Amino acid sequence: MSTPERTYESAVERLEEIIRRLDSGDAGLRETLDLVKEGRTLVEFCAAELDAVGRGLEELRLDELVARLEAGAQAGGPTSGAA
Amino acid sequence: MWRNEYEASGVELADGAQVVVAGGPGYYPGSRTSSPSFSFDVTSLRLAGEGDLLAQLAELRRKLDAEGLFTPQKTLPRPALPRCIGVVTGESGKARDDVLAGLRRRGWAGRLVWAFAPVQDRHAAPRITQALQDLAALEEVEVIVVARGGGSLADLFAFCDETLCRTVALLRTPVIASVGHHTDTTLIDDVAAVSCSTPTHAAETAVPTHVGEAREAMRRAAGRLAHHGRRAVLDRARHLAQLSRAPAEVVARHRARLHQMLREIRAGARRRGIDERRALTATQALVLSRKAAAAAGPERTSRTSRLQGLTAALVAHDPERVLERGYAVVDDGDGNVLTSAEAARAAERVRLLFGDGHVHARIEE
Repeated sequence: MSTPERTYESAVERLEEIIRRLDSGDAGLRETLDLVKEGRTLVEFCAAELDAVGRGLEELRLDELVARLEAGAQAGGPTSGAA
Repeated sequence: MWRNEYEASGVELADGAQVVVAGGPGYYPGSRTSSPSFSFDVTSLRLAGEGDLLAQLAELRRKLDAEGLFTPQKTLPRPALPRCIGVVTGESGKARDDVLAGLRRRGWAGRLVWAFAPVQDRHAAPRITQALQDLAALEEVEVIVVARGGGSLADLFAFCDETLCRTVALLRTPVIASVGHHTDTTLIDDVAAVSCSTPTHAAETAVPTHVGEAREAMRRAAGRLAHHGRRAVLDRARHLAQLSRAPAEVVARHRARLHQMLREIRAGARRRGIDERRALTATQALVLSRKAAAAAGPERTSRTSRLQGLTAALVAHDPERVLERGYAVVDDGDGNVLTSAEAARAAERVRLLFGDGHVHARIEE
């Protein structure tokens, strides 16, 4: 079974689901501890995502970015060609 | 054109306006006072340019809609928190600042890739199309904003270009369009994932999550998790402690009850013992008295008769009874009985005690 790639929105959705389940008080000890563990991982993931868009605006021009990527591709070209 | 027809057309003519008219020739044969004339009689009138553009636009819209090109963009998932946003806009336009203002309002400060392109001349549409394709080719660009301020329909017509709109419809990266004012509707608004009234609004739509609020929500979520984690163990530990105390409490309760019962039993037993002893003593006393009576039976009879004899003897010797029979007792007046004549002479004065009283006497010899 393949795990779908985790996204911020899927993490938030799952986190809300976990907190709803925990708030309901229906979860047993083992399930509670597992959910708390999973929830902490999700909070860390979401916090990292929020940090990634909170460090400071980075503005790039498309033509510069394309030129940079093309330069990178050319530099890496022979290696990938050899491979 | 007759005035009533001109007013009915709703067109406001100005000098230099280009119009498309419909009508027919009018011929006047003339009279004695006026010359004959030939004229073009206008029956309907519309402004040239915009009207044609609108008709073209309506036709193209119908065509793209029939091909189902308005739907694909709208089915694309849009990220709640994109790390990288591409923006297609004019380099010097106000739209650029508006996009930045919208992102700031969301508290978003990620990576922004500007794809500047002319936004209103005849080169605009191919350049915008190219910019969109280039941005969509970058894997890190998660959403694209196309922004341009207001203008006339002719100015905005680049965004109605068929090639551009077909390109947008088929891009795998969601495009958020904000072209012109909210009253203007260009074809890119129809094919894009979302159409917004202003570039600021488009930027906010590109980042649905408010970063500051999301951080606060994460802090709350972390707090809830910590609370549940602590409580899961503590509550159960408390419950276990209660459960472990419960048997001891039950035993203690039973012990106290047993002690109480024991005390009651002892008290009852003591009462019963006293009663029993009391009953026993009475019985014993009766038995003893009977035994005593039985044992003392014959002796008592003899003793009683002896006692009666003694009583009779005592009565016989009672001085009072003797005096009643005529005897007298002589004493010296102080109670010392005089039992001889010598003692009487020596006393000289004596007292004679009779049964009914006494008299004093003097011894003469």
